[in-house]
Amino acid sequence: MKEYTKELNITVKVNGREYHESVPANMTLLQFLRNKLLLTGTKEGCGIGECGACTVVMNGKTVTSCLVLAAEADGAEIRTIEGEAKGEKLTALQESFIKYHGEQCGFCTPGMIMSAQNLLDRNPKPTREEIVEAISGNLCRCTGYEPIIKAIEAVAEKGNR
Amino acid sequence: MIVEDKSKLRYVSKDIPRKDGVEKVTGSAVYVADMVLPGMLYAKVVKSPYAYARIKSINTSEAEKIPGVRAVITGKELNYKVGLYVVDKDILAKDFARYQGEPVAAVAADSELIAEMACEKIKVEYEELEPVMDPREALKPDAPLVHPDLGNYSYMKGVFQPRPKTNIPHVQKIRHGDIEKGFKEADLVVETSFYNPPVQHVALETHVAITQALPGNKVLIYTSAQSPFTVRSLFSVCFGIPLENIRVKVPYVGGGFGGKAGIHLEPLTYVLSKKAGGRPVKLMMTREEEFNTIPSRQGLYSDFKTGVTKDGKITALEANYYWDAGAYADYGVNVGRAGAYAGAGPYEVPNCKIDSYIVYTNKVFGTAYRGFGHLEVLWGIERNMDIVARKLGMDPVEFRMKNVLRQGAYTITGEKITRSHGHVYDCLDAVAKDIKWSGYKSEEEREKEKKTGKVRGKGVALLHKAPAMPTFTSTAIILKFNENGSVDLMTSLTDYGQGTYTALAQIAAEILKMPIERINVPWDSDTSFTPYDWQTVASKGAFMSGNATIAAAEDALRQIKEIAAQVLKCDVADLVCEDEKVYLIHNPDEYLEYKQIVNGYVYPDGTSIGGPVIGRGRYIAQGLTNLDPETGQGLPALDWTYGAHGAEIEIDIETGEIHVIRLASAFDVGQTLNEGLARGQIIGGVIQGLGSALTEEFKFSKDGKFLNASFVDYKILTAKDLPDSMEQYLIENPQHDGPFGARGVAEHPMISVPSVIGNALYDALGIDYFRLPLTSERIYFGIKSGKKEYHD
Amino acid sequence: MIKPVAYFKPGSLKEAVEALQTENAWPLAGGTDLLVNMRNGVEHPDLLVDIKGLEELNVFEVDGKIIIGGNINLNFIIDDARLRKVCPVLGQSALTVATYQLRNRATLVGNICNASPAADMAPALYVMEAEVVVSGPQGERHVPINEFITGVKKTSLKKGEVVLRVEIPNPKVGKTAFLKKQRYRGHDLATVNVAGIANPDTGTLRVCIGACAVTPVLLKGTDELYKSIKDVDELADKVSELALQSISPIDDVRSSAEYRRDMTAVYVKRLVRTICS
Ligand code: FES
Ligand code: FES
Repeated sequence: MKEYTKELNITVKVNGREYHESVPANMTLLQFLRNKLLLTGTKEGCGIGECGACTVVMNGKTVTSCLVLAAEADGAEIRTIEGEAKGEKLTALQESFIKYHGEQCGFCTPGMIMSAQNLLDRNPKPTREEIVEAISGNLCRCTGYEPIIKAIEAVAEKGNR
Repeated sequence: MIVEDKSKLRYVSKDIPRKDGVEKVTGSAVYVADMVLPGMLYAKVVKSPYAYARIKSINTSEAEKIPGVRAVITGKELNYKVGLYVVDKDILAKDFARYQGEPVAAVAADSELIAEMACEKIKVEYEELEPVMDPREALKPDAPLVHPDLGNYSYMKGVFQPRPKTNIPHVQKIRHGDIEKGFKEADLVVETSFYNPPVQHVALETHVAITQALPGNKVLIYTSAQSPFTVRSLFSVCFGIPLENIRVKVPYVGGGFGGKAGIHLEPLTYVLSKKAGGRPVKLMMTREEEFNTIPSRQGLYSDFKTGVTKDGKITALEANYYWDAGAYADYGVNVGRAGAYAGAGPYEVPNCKIDSYIVYTNKVFGTAYRGFGHLEVLWGIERNMDIVARKLGMDPVEFRMKNVLRQGAYTITGEKITRSHGHVYDCLDAVAKDIKWSGYKSEEEREKEKKTGKVRGKGVALLHKAPAMPTFTSTAIILKFNENGSVDLMTSLTDYGQGTYTALAQIAAEILKMPIERINVPWDSDTSFTPYDWQTVASKGAFMSGNATIAAAEDALRQIKEIAAQVLKCDVADLVCEDEKVYLIHNPDEYLEYKQIVNGYVYPDGTSIGGPVIGRGRYIAQGLTNLDPETGQGLPALDWTYGAHGAEIEIDIETGEIHVIRLASAFDVGQTLNEGLARGQIIGGVIQGLGSALTEEFKFSKDGKFLNASFVDYKILTAKDLPDSMEQYLIENPQHDGPFGARGVAEHPMISVPSVIGNALYDALGIDYFRLPLTSERIYFGIKSGKKEYHD
Repeated sequence: MIKPVAYFKPGSLKEAVEALQTENAWPLAGGTDLLVNMRNGVEHPDLLVDIKGLEELNVFEVDGKIIIGGNINLNFIIDDARLRKVCPVLGQSALTVATYQLRNRATLVGNICNASPAADMAPALYVMEAEVVVSGPQGERHVPINEFITGVKKTSLKKGEVVLRVEIPNPKVGKTAFLKKQRYRGHDLATVNVAGIANPDTGTLRVCIGACAVTPVLLKGTDELYKSIKDVDELADKVSELALQSISPIDDVRSSAEYRRDMTAVYVKRLVRTICS
């Protein structure tokens, strides 16, 4: 019978940089980003896909990285919050979050921005309803969402990035 | 200090983006959740599966054998007690486990996974006991005792009075006027009862601490906490370690809402670190543990008896509050105390009797939660006001207007309302106008509307809250200047999203007459470096630390002027400051820049005077007194913030679903410090309150098991659940001793949101509901019951 | 946390079926249920067989038969314009499942393999008379959806088998709808969900109710009612009566049985009024 392995070598591109790492099969993408690559901007708020704090973009689509195995990300391209600003230059969305007070404690903010940016990338002029649909998988206990929606709407009006 | 001419304000009142914005939107803000220290171990806990059980034995030998396990600990070997007001809690349960989810053993290991697998190998033998789950049951003479040893515990004397051999760690009494006389004067007496279930704060970052036991009896703690100094003092008392040996650091905190006040995981991580030879130990709660291991907001049963005259004046109010404290007193006793002295609402009640019982049960224990008891008592109070108004045949807005606290009136603890208090009637007026309140709809209108399947209703509700804190609560601010003249503002207040640091920077910039960009508020409070602050709780941060910032800025300016007076050869009184410069008032061409002074002034010949300028400011609560243990009379409140909500809702009468059309909120903030942050704070609070109104509650099985300890079945609102529109009114009747006239408004937005929904629900359906949350299921069964009052 | 486990991503169906025959091997597609259950200690697989590399599972067709491969995620189903035209009820159902991020991973096949009584994709598949195509050591077999889901979290999948795709052999013409009662507007499991199709030409009315029994309940006898009752309100009442006789809801943390019952009546009536008028 074939032997199946609990440790694998993976190649993942994160924010444009390629990483070759050996990971245990039970490691989630979230753990990989935070504990292996030390990219701690992506947060864990529940570990079961319900809160969206761990949202990253994988091959162009948002996923809850707590429910993706690092092994499954082999060969994938990942975007995390750390890859959004270019040096000191914030994205239009990040600027807008600051202007409209889209962040309070900031713990949901990285995941929220990844969801919102992904929406704007797919659909540069979303309606309020589309914005709500795109971010409703990201729980925020501080802001009451309204300021976040405003921040996204403002970018949509002005044009993304 | 109040503002004479608002047009002169440059920073205060303005919508200035928060100081920590860039860190937060780029993911570079570091939280304890993100931190790893060299040699760090990871801890996990074993939790009791029973609500009440005797721990017969714990066998840890299998767990200890697992490679990578560095320390295993059980309650038996720990002889420490922790407690804020009543010292009733062990670090790990000993002998008895008092709620399902209570930690009974813990492991520190090289990885989280090893720690978790080791926990699974720990064998605990329990003898299940009959739990007591309802505070009213727990008050009965034959009820099981949650703490048979209550009589032996130490507690804060003069404030709390535990009753030995009962389940009562405290009863707060209020006796004001003559209650019997009050009821005699009444033309109508109305009795009502209400209930709120326990709920959770649900900060997105769960509780987490990293603690290292260092040689020399020293301790280093990184913790996601609201109050570094309180963590330190409680820790010191628990372990008998001198304060100066304990260093508590608080970096960015992912939400608190009261849940991270007090002390939580720090003692347990400390004993694990000690046992593991001094390696730092990190313990982070899973979301499930956050629900059923970490404390919550207490449930509350409330009973009211209200006496009113025909023309709508309240003559008497008797209230009994039964708080479901859960297994430990923690903040619960103080919540019950605050709920009592605020327990008549923002009304003039000449004759008042309140008994507020804090009662142990076998539930996860209660703690501080945004509103500190006020959302709970005001759920009943504000529903009761509507019901009484109706029985009088009076409009509920008019009835409130007749009874609200106005200048010259006395509160139920005997505090006189002065010109420095806010105007609750302005708030009521604002929201009533906003929703175009014109009285309840008639029964015919309702019946007609019901035929369409949807019914609309409107309502209002008032609120008030003052900080609940010791009479001697104090704080300090230090302003230190950098070589280029910029300023570091140092505080031990924690900004976990409220925006206080930004508000303090605005205040400092305003007084120092320098650009806000040049005021830096470094994150990370550190008990070894930042000056004392009691706690970041109670909506007192901007008020107290704001006053301290004003004092610190004035202190710095005084020092700057003293040096400048020497250099410019004038009297200090001849100097004014503007744009980081200090001028001769009669000759603006003669000036010095701050940066020439703040690290010592150097004359052209090289001689120098002065030295680093450090502004120091302090504030201590003024005039507060303890409450009389028998009558509750005294002055508990630093500043009352009044507010009101108005709502319009729509009900689907076939399903009971509520749709919120409009939610308008008004607060007398005294003076807005930062308009954008204030609105953000209000919107966030209102939506959190709407969660308490519509969806949030802990569910327990009959035998005390927690049934919904996860986001799958404990629902906080999402972006889809917002009202169609919201409005915030910032009313400004200044608080004379507030910074620029400001009052706190952090907790207030969530208070009375359930009440306003409940009141609007009556208008829509003609049915009174008494229990929270107002789920579609509850509303539906109310409609189905065909009754005018639905008590389930 | 997720406990140590082996992982294998087969390149061919043969390899996959072989791997799935090993002790305690589980197929891993979107993982949105399985990984949660592993983290919570509910499931303890020894081997995860990641089937996302299998070509056979990527099929998606809407001409004639509707074919939805095992790797097709729910957002794909929502977004595909052709499917929206041919069979809108699938997208409607999918839109109520979990959150946007999760739907990028969660698959239609996974939703039915999880076999929750409240599975939101199931009622639509029942009324569309879908078949589940399974591959295993003995080759392929077609299982009608109502025989595939056999109980709470139970399916008729056998050891070593993997679901290749779901087929709807005769996408029925007719008016369809899916309605879901949940506790609030945010992502939630269904308190009750209902799907239906009505075709006045053939006189068929099919209604299926989820979350009110151990498996979704496809009502029997609806065609007769549909043919004999012309008044849509009366029809709605009669179908809802039939529904109440057919379901056996329970009390749980999400809802009481009584509320489920009453909401079934409301939602079935709303459904019938939507698709029959
Ligand atoms: S941590 Fe992944 S969704 Fe909550
Ligand atoms: S800002 Fe705190 S959770 Fe969103």
